[in-house]
Amino acid sequence: MTRKILNIIVNGESHQVPIELHWTLLQVLRNEIGMMGTKENCLEAECGVCTVLLDGRAVNSCILLAGQVEGRSITTIEGIGNPEHLHPLQETFIECGAVQCGYCIPGMILTAKSFLDENPGCRPTRDEIREALAGTLCRCTGYRKIVDAVAAAVERMSISGQHQ
Amino acid sequence: MSFDLHRPATVTEAIDLAQRLSPTARYIAGGTDTIIQINRKKIDPAHLIDVTCLPGMSGITETADGFGLGALTNYRAIETHPAFRGGLRALIEAASVVGGRQVRNIATIAGNIVNASPAADFVPALLALDAVLDIAGPAGRRAVALRDFIVGPGKTDLAPAEIVTGVRFARLPANSATAFLKEGRRRAMEISVVCVAACLTLDADGSRCTSVRLAIGAAGPKALRPQKAEAYLIGQTAAQSTFAAAGQLAAEACAPISDVRASADYRRRLVAIVVERALTTCLERIAEERR
Repeated sequence: MTRKILNIIVNGESHQVPIELHWTLLQVLRNEIGMMGTKENCLEAECGVCTVLLDGRAVNSCILLAGQVEGRSITTIEGIGNPEHLHPLQETFIECGAVQCGYCIPGMILTAKSFLDENPGCRPTRDEIREALAGTLCRCTGYRKIVDAVAAAVERMSISGQHQ
Repeated sequence: MSFDLHRPATVTEAIDLAQRLSPTARYIAGGTDTIIQINRKKIDPAHLIDVTCLPGMSGITETADGFGLGALTNYRAIETHPAFRGGLRALIEAASVVGGRQVRNIATIAGNIVNASPAADFVPALLALDAVLDIAGPAGRRAVALRDFIVGPGKTDLAPAEIVTGVRFARLPANSATAFLKEGRRRAMEISVVCVAACLTLDADGSRCTSVRLAIGAAGPKALRPQKAEAYLIGQTAAQSTFAAAGQLAAEACAPISDVRASADYRRRLVAIVVERALTTCLERIAEERR
């Protein structure tokens, strides 16, 4: 099949990627751009491990056609911090021990980031955090510490006034 | 899966393309149903026509007599719209149980409607508001009531190459409220066992029912309006006893199936209870407004 050039911005960097039109954003991110932090699992938008931010909002990259995001901006887990400067959510996930096998964590952190960015300055309750994360499943069932980590990140971000 | 993706710039262009590529073409918007159906090999289109860039199909508009929802409106936009926090709360309640946040950020209301799943959560909320769909197609534009649009599981009144461009409904009269309730086996990421939307209007005293619209999902081949239950309540006192009687009539109007989620008998019992609860919720909301 003939390929078409897809123009997308991934973590602030412009990419021109030859794609087949039936490829999903997940396939392009992992196989063509090498952003392996975005995970593949159910391929049906049930589990959320493939979550990335599309213009800042959480979406399931496994069922989103790459050709539909021409010109748009994608953020993956690689784009929100680095080992020297972690995102507050990355810090608190480490400090709270909110990681068991780790497979869902990129999606979990990006889902949480989308939620917190949508409500800057708000202090969500634990129930609101759980509701916001409902589309992202942890099959280690480590939800308690995940919610702890998001709540701790809310505190940290409100103290530092950090929203990125 | 293998297909071509087309991205027309206007509705006319999209319709022309769909006609030319028929019958192997399908429209795609958020894709949260279409891509899954392709993955499961339930459909195998050679061409997908992306409608997400088409002008005039986005946004929520408020007019003198009602509201218009662009076909491409996503559930997150409904959930967070301030105009729906009062009497029209059923819209927020139904939108907030569609998938997870990632799906609600991208799935469109028209996608849910044309997919015509008997368990679609947003359809009953719109049915209870007597919503009308605006459609564009090769023969021009037309409007059709949602209750006439969905014909059966996966089946609609849509002619080949036609596109739903928007949904409209009238503003509620005074002393009105809506409610949407869903019963599933768990509280999130779940297909409804039964869902119910209610729209209740009371007289000036707030004691008798003057208008009632009920819509029930996942309890028949398509979301249904239990007409006998609605008609029974007109002129009746708004109270637990009459709401329970309406619930019984609504249960009799259903044609549920037994499946992996629940038996037909359980669904019917659930309908009676959830209809009663939905009406009670409406009554409480009207009372709050009057206070």
